[in-house]
This record gives sequence, C-alpha cells and structure tokens, in this order.
Amino acid sequence: MLSRRTVTCAAVLFIAGSLGTLASARAQDTLKVGLSAPMSGPAASWGIHMKWGAEKAAEEINRTGGIKVAGKAYKVQVIAYDNKYNATEGAKTAQLLFNRDGVDFVIGSLGTAPTQALQSISEREGKLLFTTAFGKALKGPKFPLTFTQLNTPVELLPQMYGYIKKVHPNVKTVALLNPNDATGQDTEPQSQKLWKSLGVEVVSSDWFERSTTEFQPIVSKFARLKPDIIEITNGPPTTAGVVYKELAVQGWKGVKIVVASSGERDFVTSGGPAVEGTYVGNAADMTGQAATDLQKRLNKLVMDEIQQPLSPLTLCTWDSMMALKAGIEKAQSVDPKKVAAALPTIVFESSWGPAAFGGAENYGTPQQMLIPTVISQIQNGKPVEVLRVLPKELEEKLKTKK
Amino acid sequence: MLAQLLINTLQIGALYVLFSLGFTLVFGVMKVINMAHGEFFAAAAVVTSFLVGLMTMQLALPSWLVYLAASIIAAIVVCIIGALVYLFGIRFYIKDLVGSFILSVGVLLVIQGAVLQGFGGAPRIVPPIFDGTTEIFGARITTNRLVISLAALLITFATYLALQATRWGKALRAVAEDAEAATLQGIPRRRVSFVGFMIATLLAALAGILTISLAPITPAIGEEYLIKSFIIVIIGGLGSIPGAVIGGFSIALIESVVGAYWDPSIATIVMFALVIAFLIFRPQGIFGRAA
Repeated sequence: MLSRRTVTCAAVLFIAGSLGTLASARAQDTLKVGLSAPMSGPAASWGIHMKWGAEKAAEEINRTGGIKVAGKAYKVQVIAYDNKYNATEGAKTAQLLFNRDGVDFVIGSLGTAPTQALQSISEREGKLLFTTAFGKALKGPKFPLTFTQLNTPVELLPQMYGYIKKVHPNVKTVALLNPNDATGQDTEPQSQKLWKSLGVEVVSSDWFERSTTEFQPIVSKFARLKPDIIEITNGPPTTAGVVYKELAVQGWKGVKIVVASSGERDFVTSGGPAVEGTYVGNAADMTGQAATDLQKRLNKLVMDEIQQPLSPLTLCTWDSMMALKAGIEKAQSVDPKKVAAALPTIVFESSWGPAAFGGAENYGTPQQMLIPTVISQIQNGKPVEVLRVLPKELEEKLKTKK
Repeated sequence: MLAQLLINTLQIGALYVLFSLGFTLVFGVMKVINMAHGEFFAAAAVVTSFLVGLMTMQLALPSWLVYLAASIIAAIVVCIIGALVYLFGIRFYIKDLVGSFILSVGVLLVIQGAVLQGFGGAPRIVPPIFDGTTEIFGARITTNRLVISLAALLITFATYLALQATRWGKALRAVAEDAEAATLQGIPRRRVSFVGFMIATLLAALAGILTISLAPITPAIGEEYLIKSFIIVIIGGLGSIPGAVIGGFSIALIESVVGAYWDPSIATIVMFALVIAFLIFRPQGIFGRAA
C-alpha cells in the first residue's frame, strides 16, 4: 500500500512534468538570419548601418511575438560578419553563415563580389539571400533564391540622369570614376549607355581600388579634361567626399553625382563645402515631409544610438526582415524555397509604406523590392529630396490588392 | 600641368618615403622583413584620430595643441607596441627572413584585430590642421597637404642626418654593412638592432600621424602603404635609405603621370611591371648591393 507521502510526491512530479511539457511546446524556436557587409574599411559605415537596421527589425519582430508559422512562434537572431567588400572575405563569411551557423536566410549582403561568393553557396544549398548589391547579373531565373532589397542602377540611373539632364540641359560631357571591382564593372556599362542615350559624351571612365587614399592624379586628369559632370558610380561616401574636395582644390566646377550614396554625413564631413550641390542616389531626408512616421522614429533612434542619420542602407535590412516575416507567414513554412516562391505574391509593410517584389521586365523574374526611387541634393550640408518616384509596377500591385 | 604633376608627386611621395624609410631600415640593420610595419602606421593613425576627436569634444584646447598631444600619446603607444613586438618576437628572428616574415604576419593580424575591436572599423575623418589652398607655379595644393608633405620631408632629412652624423647612426650603418665586423669593433649589435627597430617603428607612427587629416582613417589603411613600400624598397634597394627616397618618389611620379594621363589602375600595372623588371635585371635595386 503506497503511503500518502509517496502519492503526494508522485502527483506533484506528474503536475510539474506536465507543466514543463506544456511550456516547451509553447517555447519559441529561434530563426537565425545572416548579414554579410563591410564593417571595416572605407565602406564600413554602410555595413554598420545595415547591421543596426537588421538588429532593430529583429527586436521589433521579437517584441511583437515573433514570426508565426503553424502555431509556432519564431524569434529572430541576427548573425553579422564583416565581408570587407571583397570576394575572399565574402566567401569566408558565406562558409561561416551557412556551414557553421546553419543560417537559412541572409537578410542583407553588400558588395557584388562578396555577394557573388555568398550566392555561389546559397543557390546551391537552397538558402534565401537578400542583397543590396548593384550587380544586375545577380538576379534572374538562374538565381531564384536571390532578392534585391534596395534600388540598383537599373532603377536609379534612368531617373537620376533624366532629372539631371532636365535641370542642367547644357551639360554635354561626363567623366566616370568607378571602383575597380565587380560592382564597378557591372554599373559602368549601364552608366555609359544611359549617358550616351541622353546625348552626353563620356570623355573619361577611370577605375580606382577601393583602398586608394590618394586621388590627386585622377583629379588632375579630370581637371585637365574639364567635363561638365563628374560621376562617382559606386564609391563609399568618404572616398567620394575626398575626390570632390581635391577637385575643388584643382579648380574644377561642374555637376557632381554620387550614384550610391547612403552615408551623407560621412560624405559631407570628408568633402566639406566642396560637396555642396552634389546629386546623391539612394539618399533621402528621413526627417522631411516625405518620410514615413516609422522612418522618423527610426531616425531618432539611430541618431541616439550610433550618432548617424538614418539612410536607405539602414532601412534595407529592416525592409528585408519585414519581407522575410511576411513571406514566411504567407508560405507558413521556414523552407527557404517555399518562402522564395511566396515573396513575389505578397504586399508587405516596409519602412517606405506598402511594398512588394517585381522587376520581371528587367531581370526575368520578380526579385527586385519595389520601393520609391529617391534622388537628393546636398544643400547646406544635408540631403534635400529633389525627386521621388514610386515604381509603376508597385502602384499597380497595390491597386490590385485593394 | 607639369607643375601640378610635380606637386602631386611631392605630396604623394613624401609620405611613401617616410613610411618606407622605417621598413628598409629594419631590413638593413636586422635583415628582417617586418610585415607589421603597416600596422604600426595604421595604429598610430587610428589612435591619433580617436584622441583628436575625444579631446576636441572634452577639452577646450586650441586645435594645434590637441593634435600635438594626441600625436605624442599615439607615438608613445605605438612605440610601446613596437618594443613588445621586438622583445618578445623579432629579436629571436634576426637575419631570418622567412621566420621574421611569418612572425610579423601574425603580429599584423593581432594588431589589426585589436585595433578593429578597440576602435571599430568605421572610417574616421579628421579636419585639416591648416585651411586654405596654396598655388605654386600654377599648381594647386591645400596648405594642409603642403605643410604635412614638408614635415614628412623634414623628418626624412633629419633621419638621414642622424644616421650619417650621430654615434648611433654610425653604429646602425656599421651593423647594416657587416654585423660581424661591427661586433668585432665593439658595437653592441643587439642593442643597435633594438634601437634600429624602434626608430623604424617611430617613423611608421609619424607617417600614420601625418596622414590623419589627409584621408579617412580605417584600421586597414596600412595595407596599401605596405604594398607600396615593398615596391619602393625593391626598386630602391632593400636596406638603402637613399634607395627608399628615390624609390618612393619614383612610385609617386608613376602614379601622378600615369594616373593623370591614363588611369590609376594602369599606374598600378606599370608599377608592378617595373618591380618585375627590377627583380629580373637588377634584383638588388638601384642602391642595394648585389649578393
């Protein structure tokens, strides 16, 4: 005959065990997401912004209950590595993320060369990849698991060049300065073709290594050629600032363009008064009237935490994280291939407002995040929006959804 | 245009020479290849730029005093690092090219990692010390760059004079010429090697400090200078001070002229083609001695 004490103990143990099981059934799984971006070197501010945006988005998702799939709630954890904007580190980052950390989703990668290294593994192993990389060849039917989270030259340049030619109708010549890597090599032909179509002659197209700190020789060449426009296609903000500063010293005056901005504070600090009037792509005033409430809130937060204003690069990882959440919840699966199939069908809430994926006309498949194209001009040391264009394809998708 | 090209050569070459001077000195005296030389340069630049930013915010001091104080502190810090690297590493690999190369690569990674961890990877921008632009025979250069280039040349000249005219300088040259003979003459070879290494470290630190207001400073800034330094000492001659000067300005001239008339990437090709030519036809460089 069992004693009362024994029965009581058994009952307590049974209840405790049941409660424990119940708790673990409700316990959250963790979804690890990766980020590959430069966190050192001239482009470090871009990577730091992307990491901040990703971590803030993860906090927001976790705070609001996580990503819900078939009764389970997934917490999000960001794992970020420095790809140093080169293919070697990009490959190392890819190995770490996919093979060591077991990541199935990369919510941001910057730099065409490191992204290509990442993509060579992600597509083969069925992992989903978001990238800001400008390389047009990164997307398409051969790479069904790759999505772009920021406007690229395909979206930016026609709007930017068209606007500049309208505002400065007398410009006849342009000199291009391109980084000597996959990003520059992919963007430069697009720039050449577009300028020629607008009747602007490309008088010089030169290449620099991203690690270059002395630009006097190339600046002397530009000063000698006296082009109407000098465009830096993909230089990081500090590099672009230094180039324009040297150009001002050697007496060049003309239209200045930086296609890939994002990091205007560094641009203005390194270039000083010489960068006044520069047209910058992928740059927006996040305190202005056109900024959304979310962008204004995030801007205040990023200024408090890392003393840098919000930029589209800060937002691109926030947006890709929200897109990923929406895609997983639509697919009701954490299988990257199922999520990739769901992404082109969703409209999700990005930092810019409702957004979707499209761009099949340009890339063959709808892998481009459809967000406004914003062109700004540096006025009194700050970016002031001069042009904002919502993609027509997005407008149509939003009408259809209504 | 010619004047501008020469001014460009001066401002680029001055810092290349100062940087390479230390690199070639270490080889000349100790027959050691110090791959961490670029990290001494970078560490000095990062520490100085960090301190300038901090002191500007926290202390109400004139900017020249802030720069001076930050520079002195950074130089001391880097010299301490250099001393530790020598005492716990390099001195065991004197006259061992392969061993010193491998050791110094390890030191490079440690210092770069430590600087990255301690100060972050974001570029630091320091305002120029001197404002304005100067015109020389029609060529334009910022006053800041002109002063810094002249300072670099002055330090180079002072180093050359010290090596020629002082007891330690003569001892260094004696050890570089023939270590065994120098020892037989009573020159303390190990102490001279240490002094030589510290002078080289200080020269790298000074080059780094002078760079802070010229370019955005990142922990990786030393890599570009180290690669150029290799080219310079191959052309000028490993262990040769005049060789470092001629090599430095030669490279700067190539960058200026080829970059201005063609492309910076073509300038890089020309430089490496020149290195290959020297290695084939005159491997000891312009002023080096044949083996």
